[in-house]
Amino acid sequence: MSAFHFDTLVWHWPIAIYLFLAGVSAGAMFFAVMLKHGCLKGKAYQSGFVQAACVVAAISVLAGLGVLVLDLTKPLHFWKILVFYNPMSVMSMGVIILMLYQVFMYAWIVITFKQPIDDLCKKRLPIVGKLTSVIARYEAGITGLLVIFSVSLGAYTGFLLSAQPHFPMWNTGVLPLLFLASGLSSGAAASLLGGVLLKGNPNGAEVRFIHKIEIPLILGEILLMFTFFLGLVFSGGQSKVAAFNAIGVGFWGFIFWFGIMGLGLSAPLAMNLFMTATSKRKFSYVAGTACLSLLGVILLRNFILYTGQMTVS
Amino acid sequence: MENSRRHFLKNTCALVAGVSVYPLSGNNAEMEPEINNIKYALLHDESKCIGCNACVEACREVNHVPEGVTRLSIEKTGPFGEYPNQYYHFSRHSCEHCENAPCVTVCPTGAAFIDKETGIVAVNADRCVGCLYCIAACPYEVRFINPVTKTADKCDFCRETNLKEGKQPACVEACPTKALVFGNLKDPESELVARLKANPTERYKQSLGTRPKIFRIKARQGEIIL
Repeated sequence: MSAFHFDTLVWHWPIAIYLFLAGVSAGAMFFAVMLKHGCLKGKAYQSGFVQAACVVAAISVLAGLGVLVLDLTKPLHFWKILVFYNPMSVMSMGVIILMLYQVFMYAWIVITFKQPIDDLCKKRLPIVGKLTSVIARYEAGITGLLVIFSVSLGAYTGFLLSAQPHFPMWNTGVLPLLFLASGLSSGAAASLLGGVLLKGNPNGAEVRFIHKIEIPLILGEILLMFTFFLGLVFSGGQSKVAAFNAIGVGFWGFIFWFGIMGLGLSAPLAMNLFMTATSKRKFSYVAGTACLSLLGVILLRNFILYTGQMTVS
Repeated sequence: MENSRRHFLKNTCALVAGVSVYPLSGNNAEMEPEINNIKYALLHDESKCIGCNACVEACREVNHVPEGVTRLSIEKTGPFGEYPNQYYHFSRHSCEHCENAPCVTVCPTGAAFIDKETGIVAVNADRCVGCLYCIAACPYEVRFINPVTKTADKCDFCRETNLKEGKQPACVEACPTKALVFGNLKDPESELVARLKANPTERYKQSLGTRPKIFRIKARQGEIIL
């Protein structure tokens, strides 16, 4: 059996890219909110990390949707997904989550960057200032809903797969949590990488704040990974077969142990602990760690997507 | 201020949780056909099947299924037993018309649906956008993308063709050994119900809770396989 081509394969790598981008967007938005409210307050718009998180979140969710639409067999008919809903379908619920998430995401970005937006439009378009003030009045509600919808979006990418009785490796409740955790950490990594590239201080308060959340998050991810596979093994039958097919000897086993557990989780964990313990946070350390985390999450999405479809119920 | 925000968040969380869980309640009741006088099912008597594939060709012709894909196939395993008493097993591979169909549950647009009048799991090609979710979700691997229409396709018991004309499905009509029996489970007088009552039958992957409506009479095993 080839790693990328087998009979039971239905969803190919574009879906993994989409799952990755949706997770990154949700995670980046989550950390942008955390940074603003837990660390920077009103000055958030000046931080390269918040700017990066907002840019990454806005672009990746659109890119993800673009990949998804192009991957349909009838891309020009995608509007039917927006018009017809099936309340039983996880994908249909995901469409609603994605739409509402984007509304609150843009509203929150406008509120956070109200100052520069108002300054920019003061002379030519004074009406923009009035609009931003109206939106800003609902900041508390918008922020709360944005957090809820970003977490929902992160978990949805997992529920999308776990709703299928055909593939026992996906058909488990741990998968959405695993995808949520790895989505959040990929968002944190993307914000850090973008932030240092946008001339953010690699030893700034934002980096320290994110590292404080990221370390327990990675530990949680490792725990979820352990629970995920042990749960599959204890379920027996095809679930057990699926687990051993995935992490046993072979191409995907190598990706899992070396790429995901090694480069994607252990190395960033070690680097984060090192940076916290020594307070040495250089551009190269922060950027390198973030790249490893992102690589790990891309590999995880592909690994779960492909190995999940190798074993059927 | 702080307090009202907390209340707001709490209420919103409750609302979102409620909204997302609500559709799951009454799951089975919703999928149950409302009009209960017809519920079509199919019996494949594997002890009579000779694997001639007449059913496959008849299906292709009647339903205009393009080459390269098929709504129906006969899977051959064997040979079993010892010479000269050797034979093959044939099993039908096609839509199981589940009462609780995963394809219908996952379809985001409602393109996959259960016809409430007949219990047939069918596809509304106009609604289908080709997300492949149904193909991935189906535990029986019977769905495919029709290369001409680019929509999900599968057996619908000839709902749009033979059944509309008052005939039996094409595969049933074509079978030379009468190994296929099509009928209404709600009609106690039907041959299907009589055969189902008189024979031990098997349905695939019942543990998944899909409640499939393709019944199978198994051929003798011929040897012991663990």
